[in-house]
Amino acid sequence: MTAATSQAANKRIKQANRNLQTFIPLLLGLVMFGAYMLLPFVTQPELGATTIPTLTAERGNNEVEVMTNGLRLLWFAGIAVILMGVVDLIKPELDRTIAILTTLTGLVALVYYPVFWMDYRAEEATYFSQINIGFWVMLGVSLLMIAQIAIPRPPAPRYYEVSRQLGNQETVLILGMVALLVIVGIINPRYLSERSLLGILQNNAYVAVAAIGMSMVIITGNIDISVGSLIALLAVISGRLATNGFPIAIAWSAPLVCGVLIGAGIGLLVAYLRIPSIVVTLAMLSILKGILIIWTGGERVTDLPDAFKLAQWDFLGISMPIWFMIVLTILALLWMRYSQLGRSFYAVGGNAEAAHLSGINERVVVLQAFMLNGLFAGFAALLYATQFQIIQATPPPFLELNIITASVIGGVSILGGTGTILGGTLAAILISAIRSGMVFIDVDPFWLKSVQGLLILVTVLVDLFRRRRQRV
Amino acid sequence: MSTQATSKKDLIPQVSPVERLRKIVLSREGVLFIIMLITVGILSSQNDNFFTQSNLLNQLRLMTEVGLIALPMTYIIITAGIDLSVGSIFGLAAIVLGYSWQTLGFPLPLAIVTALISGLIAGVINGFFIMQVKVPPLIMTLATLAFYRGLAEGISRGRSATGYPEWFYVFGQGDFLGIPTQIWFLIVSVIIAGIILAKTTFGRSLYAIGNNETGARFSGLKVDRNLLIIYTFSGFMSALAGALFVSRVSTTRSDMGTGLELDVIAAVVLGGSSIFGGTGSVTGTMIGVVLIQLLKNGLALSGVTSDATIIIIGLVLIFSILVNNWIQERQ
Repeated sequence: MTAATSQAANKRIKQANRNLQTFIPLLLGLVMFGAYMLLPFVTQPELGATTIPTLTAERGNNEVEVMTNGLRLLWFAGIAVILMGVVDLIKPELDRTIAILTTLTGLVALVYYPVFWMDYRAEEATYFSQINIGFWVMLGVSLLMIAQIAIPRPPAPRYYEVSRQLGNQETVLILGMVALLVIVGIINPRYLSERSLLGILQNNAYVAVAAIGMSMVIITGNIDISVGSLIALLAVISGRLATNGFPIAIAWSAPLVCGVLIGAGIGLLVAYLRIPSIVVTLAMLSILKGILIIWTGGERVTDLPDAFKLAQWDFLGISMPIWFMIVLTILALLWMRYSQLGRSFYAVGGNAEAAHLSGINERVVVLQAFMLNGLFAGFAALLYATQFQIIQATPPPFLELNIITASVIGGVSILGGTGTILGGTLAAILISAIRSGMVFIDVDPFWLKSVQGLLILVTVLVDLFRRRRQRV
Repeated sequence: MSTQATSKKDLIPQVSPVERLRKIVLSREGVLFIIMLITVGILSSQNDNFFTQSNLLNQLRLMTEVGLIALPMTYIIITAGIDLSVGSIFGLAAIVLGYSWQTLGFPLPLAIVTALISGLIAGVINGFFIMQVKVPPLIMTLATLAFYRGLAEGISRGRSATGYPEWFYVFGQGDFLGIPTQIWFLIVSVIIAGIILAKTTFGRSLYAIGNNETGARFSGLKVDRNLLIIYTFSGFMSALAGALFVSRVSTTRSDMGTGLELDVIAAVVLGGSSIFGGTGSVTGTMIGVVLIQLLKNGLALSGVTSDATIIIIGLVLIFSILVNNWIQERQ
């Protein structure tokens, strides 16, 4: 009887412990974010105590620019840990996984401090006279985020084991990104400035969007190498409509509609006429590129109306391409995970025969994958068309390769059947971060592509070894 | 002895000459050959300058590079692999040639050998990772496509090398026995590659690998070694084509051969090799290469712009596969 009571007591204690622990990330995140937004960060000679938002509002001041290098890391840490904290409350089973992620976030946030110190030393900043309380609070919270890993936690149920939750390509990519931010950030703090970080997200956003569709196609066991020419063609269609006085709404929706139609054409050839997708899209690459060059005569589209330039708009201080990338990735991620059609992509790519026998019409599925790929190419074209003042009449070199690379590095197996949408987006961001990081550490631009190729190879090898170890 | 002969004879089905002819005509190569003849017929009726000796020889000169690389590509596609890095190896070899000659001061023959060896090494790297680490060929060569092109850009730093000695141009611009020099390279390579693929154990094992790699492995075929050989071969031939190209255009630039992989793959696929592996032949590939080159030239002579030409080549690619599928299904 005593044994039973003590067991029950143990269980209660465990329950209580668990409940307490699950609050920790949310608490830390809220303190971090609160300190970022509200607490005075530095004391300025004339203005007195200043919070970060007031500080960053003073753009154009070089010294402020320097001082705000890397501040976004703290902001990001706060938001990320709050989100993870909410997940922790909803799904306590993920507690251990989230503890590790919180520690990782703490490490990222900590990178800010050496950056701050180096800026401070290098520029001999006179802009502020004293570091204020917010600085120390955030430093403390960052350390606590790291320290909280030491709290003992109940083991997670089998499905929620840490190795299972984190042993995937997305984690590899995130770790790669963290390593890059830390190394490049310490060598050149400007890499962590807000402008640079947003630039990293924005530069490859259209590649990330196109990679969503590409991932779907590859998951069904096909490939599309014509997507670069398609994006260029759709962008010119959109631009020509806008410059010829059509309503902006039509100019914006035309690439989406045309993309779906062309995707349907490719899909029909692949699914119903049984021509291998690599051959069809190889032919389409030539056809689309030829049409584009004949139609435009190699002349780029200029004089775009201002209302057309969607990609140059801001919303909450973040530019449209980033919003498109985030929203489309999340939607596609959920759709692939939970919708019937999304699941059937995996089924067809994994084993077309088995999918057929279990009542999936694999031809329709492949057709739909190509139509969706066309749709996402349309979105990518929209972002590509509206990002500058002009639209080039030739496809950007290596665009299709960049898109396929993003999908593949994101963990989509070229053999079909596995992979996620999130991986492709993360990979696109990572590639952009690598490219921009190399500029910040003064790698000779002539070597950029070879370093990029090498890194692709390394990522693929890491992924292969990880998979092999899991299989054994 | 005699009984063995008769039993062997019994095993081989008796085919009448008509039947055999029908089979040849309806094979992939046969259909393609007929398409080619029709194309030539149409093009020469459209334009007087097309079917002349000088024009045809000149076209042969222009197609040598694609033709040379298409041979190993046929091997690779037969094993259900692919090599996307050939254009980059082509560019890398050209740069290595120019750089080692002009900047490092190598004598030109040594520079050519260096370029060929660099292609060989590039191919070995591809092959090693594909056979040993089991990286899918598409991904491996996608990575090295960027990597080798990057090396070419890094080594050359955007500069071009020109002003080669006169004798070097013999390969790319000169004649030998009345035929452009590089055609001899192509003819010899095609004959050797064709015989190896059709008649040797090595060649036949490539088909086995393409049809069923695991099965080939269990049948004791040296799958890994053969894969390494064909990717190395591919690197070498790309470098050779690169060197010939430098000789033909008299200069070296790091963006040489960009997109070449697509031309080569298109020719091989047009030639009847299935991208899924297991089928294909050197004859088919060569018809594919010739057909594309003749189309480009003939259309250009008829006043079609080169941009419209690539549309037509795309359509021909799809159309030829459709016809092929249709015929195979009917059989």
